[in-house]
Amino acid sequence: MSLDVTQQSTGRLALPFLPRRGARVSVLEIFIFIVCLALAIIGLPQTLQDVAVLTFLWAGLALAWNIAGGYAGLISFGHAAFFGIGAYTSTILFVHLGLTPWIGIWCGGALAALFGALLALICARLRGPFFILSTLAAAEVVRIGALNWASLTGGPEGLSIPPVAGMTSMVFASKAAYVAMMLLFLLVVYAITKLLEGSRYGYYLFSVRDDSDAASAAGVNPLTVRTAAMALSAGLTGIGGSLFAQYFLYLDPTFVISPELSFQFGLLAAVGGLGTAIGPVLGSFLITPMSELLRSYLGNQAAGLHLVIYSALLIVVMLYFPGGIAGALTRIVSRKGKL
Amino acid sequence: MTAILTIDNVSHRFGSLWAVRDVSFSVERGELLGLIGPNGAGKSTLYNLIAGVLIPTKGEIFFDGLKVSHWKSHRVARVGIARTFQIPKPYRQLSVVENVMLTAFQHERSVSRARDLAIETLADVGLRDYVDVPVTTLTVGLLKRLEVARALAMRPKLVLFDEIMAGLTPTEVSTMTKFVGGLPARGITVIWVEHVLYAIMKTASRIMVLNRGELIANGEPAAVARDPAVVKAYLGEEMSLA
Repeated sequence: MSLDVTQQSTGRLALPFLPRRGARVSVLEIFIFIVCLALAIIGLPQTLQDVAVLTFLWAGLALAWNIAGGYAGLISFGHAAFFGIGAYTSTILFVHLGLTPWIGIWCGGALAALFGALLALICARLRGPFFILSTLAAAEVVRIGALNWASLTGGPEGLSIPPVAGMTSMVFASKAAYVAMMLLFLLVVYAITKLLEGSRYGYYLFSVRDDSDAASAAGVNPLTVRTAAMALSAGLTGIGGSLFAQYFLYLDPTFVISPELSFQFGLLAAVGGLGTAIGPVLGSFLITPMSELLRSYLGNQAAGLHLVIYSALLIVVMLYFPGGIAGALTRIVSRKGKL
Repeated sequence: MTAILTIDNVSHRFGSLWAVRDVSFSVERGELLGLIGPNGAGKSTLYNLIAGVLIPTKGEIFFDGLKVSHWKSHRVARVGIARTFQIPKPYRQLSVVENVMLTAFQHERSVSRARDLAIETLADVGLRDYVDVPVTTLTVGLLKRLEVARALAMRPKLVLFDEIMAGLTPTEVSTMTKFVGGLPARGITVIWVEHVLYAIMKTASRIMVLNRGELIANGEPAAVARDPAVVKAYLGEEMSLA
């Protein structure tokens, strides 16, 4: 063991070192996506289609969260605000103004990105727990705002998209269309993450996460980098929110902008492996189906039991696999490589 | 006389304590200037003022024709001032070469060319064998060399070294001394804070001594070592440079 003189106590997450492959794609990644694509094309049984929609959507959102939380070190528990802003923007534009969601989702993403940038500019100078609390508080402000601005958002009664299938309304009769849409979203966010990881900008994020003093001594402006990372992460989350609205067709602030949703994005990413591209995907692929199936099988007999199992699994992963599933897999692969 | 750095009557106050008080000096292009003084003399504060981490309470700092007194550190870095940290500050989740690439990006925008420059710089400081190693496995001595490599990969005009010898073995000290001594010939101006006196006295062309925030001596190494004020404040006994 070497003497470690760099131990820091600034409340930042200390993650194990993971070798990166930059923009190159591994066999495992290709395999996972071929399986997904095949499932989406061949078509799943009706009940599993709902699970697939959520699995792909949450994977995309966990990836988006990971850009801020995993790569830039901006652990945010306020991402539900971006999700909600995206969902409400496209829906309000459609319901009140008749603008097609095909355009509305981009407006939602842009507005969420703007809000994310603003939040980072104000809060990113806070460190560790103080930043996390400020994101949580900001999301609460948005939630309470949405609850009270009833003329725009429908307030606590919520806002519905008429369930009439059509191309302009971006509402589909077949579940398979939603499976494909969410898979496309996941693939786009994944591609963005991979490009970022292999680029100069990706390294700027890592440097700011690991030591912002050293980063600024290297000519990197931490505030600019954090703001850009948050804006990208928030914008993608906003688009995910809009897509969710098109699938669920009903929005209600207590779910769409809930802290639970923010925690979920972060936990899926953490279980899979923070700061890796494949991690959040693995996290969602493991946990979303399990939690959905547990909910449907146990929901009637033992209400809430699925949450207990879900939480226990999270604790086990956090305790024994600090690098998440991706970290554990990397360790297994590199050990095999040596034999 | 072409001064690359001019410190003009700079003071910095923490609360009621003047960490640096009315300090004025300039550094010539291509000079190797040693900066010594007891702990708490204000050496690190002076570095932080030059590097833009702190803003002077009074006075101005000029670098290469620019008034940089109120610039933030990333802006100061971009015009060519590199620094090392007394306590190494590596990016803990990155490999050794990635740590150096981040400063190399100041010069090489492409990732692969930045990597080449970083590897070249690592070879320069004797870390060629550690390129793809996780940075957390390095010993203190190797981390100090990594700090030097990170500063130099920026291809700076001026570099501020902060105790890069602390914790090194005698062999490492002599290699590093030779290496630092060769930097002015490569067009890099050096300011060097060091407690390993024989290394700095041998290498620097000029020595400045800080004590309680004030400059008490400024001149040739041999003259400074004989200066009674310096002996009293720092050296303790007259130093022989034989």
